[in-house]
Amino acid sequence: MSETRDALVKRLEVRARQVRRDTWRAVRAGGGGHIGGSSSAADILTALYFHRLKIRPHEPKWPDRDRFVLSKGHANAALGAVLAQAGFIEDAILDKFYAFESPFGMHPDIKVAGVEMCTGALGHGLPVALGMALGARIQKKSFHTFVMIGDGELHEGSNWEGALAAAHYKLSNLTAIIDHNKICQSGRVNEVISVDPLADKWRAFGWEVRELDGHDMKQVIDTLDALPLDAKRPTALVAHTIKGKGVSFAEDTYVWHSNSVNDEIYAKALAELGTS
Amino acid sequence: MNAPEIAPAQWRTKSANQTRLAFGQALLEIGAREPRAVVVSADTQDLLGIRPYIERFGDRFVELGIAEQNVIGAASGLATTGLHPYVCAYAPFISARSMEQVRNDVAYANQRVVIGAAASGISLGVAGGTHHSLEDLALMRSLPNMTVIVPADVNEAYKATLATLDIDGPVYLRLGGRTEEPPVGDPEAAFRLGKAVQLRAGNDVAVIACGALVEMAVRASDLLKKDGIGVRVLNMHTIKPLDRDAILAAAAQTRGIVTAEEHHLAGGLGGAVAELLAVEHPTHMRMVGMPDVFAMVGPTVPLRTKYGMSAEAIVDACRALLSGSKGKKGKVET
Repeated sequence: MSETRDALVKRLEVRARQVRRDTWRAVRAGGGGHIGGSSSAADILTALYFHRLKIRPHEPKWPDRDRFVLSKGHANAALGAVLAQAGFIEDAILDKFYAFESPFGMHPDIKVAGVEMCTGALGHGLPVALGMALGARIQKKSFHTFVMIGDGELHEGSNWEGALAAAHYKLSNLTAIIDHNKICQSGRVNEVISVDPLADKWRAFGWEVRELDGHDMKQVIDTLDALPLDAKRPTALVAHTIKGKGVSFAEDTYVWHSNSVNDEIYAKALAELGTS
Repeated sequence: MNAPEIAPAQWRTKSANQTRLAFGQALLEIGAREPRAVVVSADTQDLLGIRPYIERFGDRFVELGIAEQNVIGAASGLATTGLHPYVCAYAPFISARSMEQVRNDVAYANQRVVIGAAASGISLGVAGGTHHSLEDLALMRSLPNMTVIVPADVNEAYKATLATLDIDGPVYLRLGGRTEEPPVGDPEAAFRLGKAVQLRAGNDVAVIACGALVEMAVRASDLLKKDGIGVRVLNMHTIKPLDRDAILAAAAQTRGIVTAEEHHLAGGLGGAVAELLAVEHPTHMRMVGMPDVFAMVGPTVPLRTKYGMSAEAIVDACRALLSGSKGKKGKVET
């Protein structure tokens, strides 16, 4: 019997909690890390890797796979958690976050199975994803390319170069997900440099835009399942999220953009994240 | 190798002694031979003479406009899907503005992207310092995984471009502007990546040159020959990987090395040669190239002369090296 929608949502919510626990575990192993942006992205990453993306964890370079580029590469702890749970990489790698000669550092590395590009220097992901989407079109392949961009990252002008070109080429096989957690390294994004009105900017650039609650799993998968939203436009999903989501003391504060994590803090976080 | 799609007489004529156009002509041949090739333009269709390619292979062409960061990122993305992108761009912009994309998306990610960088050096002389590219070799050769090639004429540019069919990694191909680069060397010679071409024999001094300065080095050698000075001329078309054997042999077999390039004296071919020799075979050297200033506005050839990039400057540097003096034009001035 096929899984009901409700059961699917429940299953992904359970998975997302495990992703958050593994994210904290990796950051604890590294002595610190980008909890804030990893946690805001966790539900969407879970929905992508355990529901939406056509991927083969045991054949990571399968030519027809969907592509996902984590442009906000500082959320690599969450990506590592997802890749490990999906079977791309060994679970034990999560305990080697930041370790000497580890493949799992602060930012994604293409040499790691399942990682599509070396990112984290901000503003790189959308142009790369644009190239992937163009590559699909040129080779008449049906894979879809996703790129997740931070809201503060949108300060980088290269995003807007990519946004222009994607709309110009009507790349409906490209979806940009904005992790709109509203906080960057120094404080609130809109106090550092405002990105509002965010959805209108993408619309003005010629993208089909939908806003959603990036922590409402049903909304997330319903939106991902509806892609492409327009046959002649790339899609921008403005996902309203909470930085540090899931652990009260880390939520909605720039302090947890990146922070140290010791055993005591880790235990407190795990207590909030539960065991299932 | 199959018979070429385009007859040499044809691509030579259309290249009009300009390496940037030879690159565009070679792309036609690459398009025919390599179905994975895709050409990416940064609003540079005429700069690199790619309209014939676009006409023939329009389904493997992407125009991305005046947006170098996006161009390099997208080229990397295209490469990850199995395509072989050839980026057509202005050297000053693609090397400097999009340097981070070149470093991260192309070199660090080790993607098969060939960058055709036209209008390098002070070839856009009248455009002024905003449009000169005198640091690109320093930037590009400092990147791991990157191959750096500086053709001396259209024959070499054409063949070097074809040679990228066999390079499974990033390539920076430095091309000239609208100033003609007259043919130098044997037009039928094969291009061998990383192997310098000896254009003149001699055991007094060796001039190691690249790009537009190769022809000047040949003239300098011929001038000094009249005075009984034997000047070996090496066309060092590949800056990276460097032809260590040819350089070490020249150092061992002559009284010193003169390097010559259209690039700042810091970090280019001269720097590469000096780094090698300082460690492995300390050798007297003189360096001909752009001093540590921004160039004034002017036509390219007189600008080159003004800043000490001429056959006469190479002659002076050779004489200075042999006499042990610092030399007038050969020394590093600011």
